[in-house]
Amino acid sequence: MSSPHASPRPGLPALRRLFSPGLLFALPFLVLFAVFMVWPLGQGLWMSLTDRALSAHAPSFIGLDNFTEAFRDAEMWRALGHTVWFTVLSTVPLVVVALGMALLVHTGLPGQWVWRLAFFAPYLLPVGVVGLLWIWLYQPDLGLYNHLLDALGLTQYAWLSDESVAMWAIALTTLWWTVGFNFLLYLAALQSVPDHLYEAAAIDGAGAWRRLWSITLPQLSRITVVITVLQVLASLKVFDQVYLMTKGGPNNSTRPVVEYVYDVGFTGYRLGYASAISYIFFALVVLASAAQFFALRRREK
Amino acid sequence: MTGTPASVGRPALTRRRALTAALGAGAAVLGAGALSGCGSALAAGDSTVRLWDLFSGADGGLLNDMVREARPDMPGTRIERTVLEWGTPYYTKLAMASAGGRGPDVAIAHMSRLAGYAPTGLVDPWDLDLLAEFGVRKSDFADAVWSRTQYEGRTYAIPLDTHPFIVFFHPEPVKKAGLLTKDGTLDADAFSSPDTFLAAGRELAKASGKQGIAFGYATDTAQGWRLFYGLYRQTGGAFTLPAGGPAEVDVDRMAEVIAFMAKLVDGRTNPKRLDYAAGLASFTNGQTAMILSGEWELGTFRAADKNVGAAPMPTVFGTPAVYADSHSFVLPHREHPDEDHRRRTHQAIAALLKAGQIWATAGHIPAYEPITRTPEYAALLPQEHYKSAADHVVLDPAVWFAGAGSDFQNAMSQVLQQALLDGLAPDRAARAMVRRLNTFLAKPSPA
Repeated sequence: MSSPHASPRPGLPALRRLFSPGLLFALPFLVLFAVFMVWPLGQGLWMSLTDRALSAHAPSFIGLDNFTEAFRDAEMWRALGHTVWFTVLSTVPLVVVALGMALLVHTGLPGQWVWRLAFFAPYLLPVGVVGLLWIWLYQPDLGLYNHLLDALGLTQYAWLSDESVAMWAIALTTLWWTVGFNFLLYLAALQSVPDHLYEAAAIDGAGAWRRLWSITLPQLSRITVVITVLQVLASLKVFDQVYLMTKGGPNNSTRPVVEYVYDVGFTGYRLGYASAISYIFFALVVLASAAQFFALRRREK
Repeated sequence: MTGTPASVGRPALTRRRALTAALGAGAAVLGAGALSGCGSALAAGDSTVRLWDLFSGADGGLLNDMVREARPDMPGTRIERTVLEWGTPYYTKLAMASAGGRGPDVAIAHMSRLAGYAPTGLVDPWDLDLLAEFGVRKSDFADAVWSRTQYEGRTYAIPLDTHPFIVFFHPEPVKKAGLLTKDGTLDADAFSSPDTFLAAGRELAKASGKQGIAFGYATDTAQGWRLFYGLYRQTGGAFTLPAGGPAEVDVDRMAEVIAFMAKLVDGRTNPKRLDYAAGLASFTNGQTAMILSGEWELGTFRAADKNVGAAPMPTVFGTPAVYADSHSFVLPHREHPDEDHRRRTHQAIAALLKAGQIWATAGHIPAYEPITRTPEYAALLPQEHYKSAADHVVLDPAVWFAGAGSDFQNAMSQVLQQALLDGLAPDRAARAMVRRLNTFLAKPSPA
C-alpha cells in the first residue's frame, strides 16, 4: 500500500490536486460501488431492452417491447398492489407500536433493561429463523395462535392459506421482527429531549398527558419523519419473509413485486422481462422518494 | 515470510515473533489445503462423472446402492453425486449452470421440463450409438415415455423411471366393500365411471367405518393439476397448446372432470379439506381406505401397512390414461465437450439403468424395460400391480412453461382448489383455467 504521507512533497502539486487525499480515501468504496452497483445497474437496463433468457442462445435487442408488455401485465400490477398494501399494513403499526413501546420503557416501567432487550431481540434474528418460527406459530391445527383462539372460544384462522388473512399475518410477523429497530431510534430520541422543558412544564402545573402532547411528541416529530421514510423504503423491498412463509400464495395473494421479478426471471427464465419490471419498480420507488423529499423540504421551510 | 518457529526458552520470544510464527503456520495449512483442492479437481476431470440429482432420504440411499451395483459395468469410473433440494430452485440452478457451460456432466431432470430445456440449448443430445454399445436401446423403453425424449429428431433425455399418479388402498376394507378381485387386485370395473367411482367411495367409507378416499391437495402446488390432467386425458378431449395461443381445449369436458373432482372431495364420504401431509396421514392411520397419490409415497404407506395394495389410476372417463412424470438423465450443455469423458458418462448412465431393480423397490417403475420383465420385478408387490400404468402415461403438455415444479402447475392447481374448496362453479373454473393457459401461451418462449 502506498498511501500518501502527511509530509508535503514538493514537485507534484498538479498530481496532488488531481488525487486529493479525500478522493484517495474514497477510492476503495468508489471502485466497489462502480463494480457492484453502477455496472450491474447499467447491465440490467441493457438487459431490459433485450429478450435475454436463461438459455444458451444469444439475446437480441427488442427495444421497449418488454416495457409495453409489462404495462399491460395484470399480474405485475397486482403484485405491485400487494407491495403497496404491505407497505401500508406494516409501516403504520411499525411506527405507532414502536413509539408506544419506547414511551412505555422511557416513562419508567420497572426493569427497563429487560424490556429494552425483549423489544429489540427479535430484530437480531435472521429472516430464516423468523419465517420458520412463525410458520409453526401459524399452523392451523397445532399452532400456538389457533390454540389460543380456541381456548378463548374464538374462530380459528387458516393464517397463511386464507387469501383474506395471509397478508395481515405476514405484516404481523414483520411487526414482531423489525419493530425493535424503530423502538431503539425512538428511545434514543426520547432520551435526548432536554429535561429543562419538562421541569418548566411541571412548574407551570402541566400534567403527564399535557407534557406528552405538548413536549414529547413535538420533540419527536423529526425522528418520526426519519423512521417513516426508512420504514417505507424497507417495506417496499419486502421479499424474504413472504417467500419463506407463503411463497407468494395462496393464489398469489401475497406475492410482492420483488417476488414477481424473481418468479419471472429465475423460474420463468425470462431475464430481460424481469429486468424491465425491476426498472419499472425502481422508477416508482424513485418517484415515491422524490415526493417524500419535496414534502419534507416544504415542511422545513 | 519468516516462518521459523521460535524455540521455547529462548529469551527473544517476543509477541511479534510469536505472531509471525503463528501466521506462517496458518499460511502453510492454507497452502496445503489449496494444493490438495487442486488435486481432487484434476481427478474429477478425469475419471469422475459428476451427477446432480434431487433424491434425498430413502431415494437418495437407493441411488447410492445403484451406483455401487453399477460399478462392475463402468470400470474405472466414479460417480460423484451432488444432491440438491427438490423444488423450483433446482431447475433454476440447473439452467444457470448449463447456460454458463459449468453444469455437471449429467443431471436428473423431470421429463416434463424437457420442453423448456432442449429448445433453449441448455442440454446436449445423447449419442444413441454410444448407448447401444453399452447395451441400451430405444426398444428398451415404453413408447409413451420415449416419445417425450425427442426434440427435432434427437434424443435429449434418457428416462430412469416413470412415476405415475395412482391409487393405494388398504386391502381389508376394500375386500369388505367387495371391491377386490379374486387374485387380490383392485376391481377396476367398480371405478369405471364417475357415478360408480363415487358409489365405490361410499362403500369404502362404510367398510372403513370412517371415510372412503383421501386426496390431499389444499395449498399444494401440483396435486390438483396431477389428478385433473390425468382424468381429463381420459375423456379424450383435446389439449393442444399452439405457440402464441389460444389453447385448443374442450371446456365442457374440463368442467365435467372438475365437477367429478369436486364431488369426490365432498366432505361426507371422503374428506374435504386435506393438504398433502394430512392426506398421507389420513390414509396411513386408517381414517380412509384408499388414497389418490403418487407412487413415490409407497415407502410411507408400506411402513404403515405392509400389505398396502396399489393399482393404476382407474379409467373413469373412457380412455385409459395415467398422469405421470419421469426422472430422466440429461446432459447439461457444454461448449466443447470432451469426447472421452462423454463416452464415460454414457457408459455410467447405461450401467445405472441396468441397476434399476434397486430403484424399483422404492416404487418407481424403471423405464428400462428389461428390468420390469424379470421375475425379480414380478415378485415386487404392489409394484407389479401398477406397472401397466407405464403403458398409458400422460405427461404434462410439452410446452416450455409446463412441467414439474413450474409456475404453470401451481396456477392450474390454484384454480382447481377454488373449485374444490371454495365452491367455484366447474364451468367457471374451466374457463378460468383456459384464461390462465392463454396468458402463459401469450408470453414469448425463452427459446
